[in-house]
Amino acid sequence: MDKQVIARTESPVRAILPNLNVVQIGGLSIMDRGHTSVLPLLDEIVANQDRHTQVIGVGPGVRARHILSVGLDLGLPTGALATLAAKSSAQNAYMVSCLLASHGFVYLEAPFIVQLLPAMLAAARGAVFNGIPPYDLWEHPPEIGKLPPHGSDAGAYLVGEVFGARTVILLKDVDGLYTADPKTDPNATFIPDISAADLLAKQLPTLPIEPAVLHLLTRAKLVKSVRIVNGLVAGNLTRALDGEPVGTFIHH
Amino acid sequence: MPEPPHDGLLTDLGRRLVSSSLTDAAIQKATEATPNLALLPWVNVVKIGGQSIMDRGRSAVWPLVDEIVANLSRHKMILGTGAGTRARHVYSLAIDLGLPVGVLTVLGTAVAWQNAQMLQYLLAKHGIAFLEPEGFNSLPHYLMERGAVICQGMPPYKLWESNPTVGRIPPERTDTGCFLIAEVFGARKMIYVKDEDGLFTADPKKDPTAVHIPRISVQELLARDLNDLVVERAVLNLMLNARNIREIQFVNGLKPGQLTAALDGEPVGTIIYKDGGPRTGPPTPPDNPGPPAGLRS
Repeated sequence: MDKQVIARTESPVRAILPNLNVVQIGGLSIMDRGHTSVLPLLDEIVANQDRHTQVIGVGPGVRARHILSVGLDLGLPTGALATLAAKSSAQNAYMVSCLLASHGFVYLEAPFIVQLLPAMLAAARGAVFNGIPPYDLWEHPPEIGKLPPHGSDAGAYLVGEVFGARTVILLKDVDGLYTADPKTDPNATFIPDISAADLLAKQLPTLPIEPAVLHLLTRAKLVKSVRIVNGLVAGNLTRALDGEPVGTFIHH
Repeated sequence: MPEPPHDGLLTDLGRRLVSSSLTDAAIQKATEATPNLALLPWVNVVKIGGQSIMDRGRSAVWPLVDEIVANLSRHKMILGTGAGTRARHVYSLAIDLGLPVGVLTVLGTAVAWQNAQMLQYLLAKHGIAFLEPEGFNSLPHYLMERGAVICQGMPPYKLWESNPTVGRIPPERTDTGCFLIAEVFGARKMIYVKDEDGLFTADPKKDPTAVHIPRISVQELLARDLNDLVVERAVLNLMLNARNIREIQFVNGLKPGQLTAALDGEPVGTIIYKDGGPRTGPPTPPDNPGPPAGLRS
């Protein structure tokens, strides 16, 4: 398509579900820790149910790392690895939906997000979805190596962006972003607020968020920020939902 | 030498994957050294253009269908379809209504789906099936038994499609979806069937001084930053990172014999290739063995 034709399509986008809050529960960081971490967090989600419409994305975790390792060893391509890893986060999402079932949350696979999310939110009291986007065999080969670049952070962000959500909150096991990994470097200092472009320019060796999300944020139309919050600290999710400055705020 | 797994369950790489951040560049680099298995090294992905072929109706589609049928016994094909005029219309309407890129992707997918369904009606009597992304696990079976399958070309991103850098049109459409099918299966060829003899220095429909480009590297093509391209820009960017597909070919589906020539390995139309060596040393199967002899029809 002609560049000028594409440029002429630039125009405002409408938010489809502007009251939606997308809350992403980390796989390795939260789910894999079991009930001591997961249950208090789910209680906090339920406590916020009356005030905030929440859809809960869930990440994979150690089982995805394991199948990535076996799949890589077998020589499988990135698209095949993405298809396999997505089943690990589907398991985690299904477990979360069972634990929230008595509070009216439903588990929605990707086709049902496409067709039924608004109806489900009108009828049910929340929804749980697989954080990994349904790219499957069509996942992009990454710039370095073979790991699928679009994980559950990217999938949760994209759900927020397409519906024009009020917030996208990524729950992890760290307080947010640091200049270095605080688990290994005592000199690491906390970054409460940063733009996606600045963060990409810093080229930090590791990040608590998928770099794909930072690239997506630079092209955002509706959801121009995400917040990384420590989901192991009681009250953090509530504060983030209420718009308080907790964790790290990464913006357009 | 890699250390032996200490618990008998994980490889050295596996232990690092479990204990490190996947955003760590060292971990990503370590995965580079693993083999690249071509899952279907004998399959050819053939994309049938939407606006360029399908929208022209019988005069373009029937001869092309005949040519596909004539090649069924010699070449295994995944036939992906483009969208075309109805997609342009629904994009313009949806943009006017303020709908986001993900919704446009859902709408565009339906148009490519319609074209795939029409192509399947035309090929039905030859036993050719139409597979949705969810049915791709059966794809090897259909290819072995019938020689070809039809799919709609859009990647299944739906609401999860990312925004483009400029504008509101989904950046990853049917050229991209077909390319990624070829890449993940390690296909023998990725052939785009359109209504031009390949790539030109400008749009030959609008500019009579446009010059044909028979062969060009993806790096040079990106550097030229042409106003109009024969292929979605996303395909060129993905080619830079691709592990299996090192070249893609564009042929004129309105000229009988061009698809056959491309399937036979002749340099018709335009070939866009990736400059430089392979990213890793994949264990390439010796000289494309083709399907097992007993299964060749």
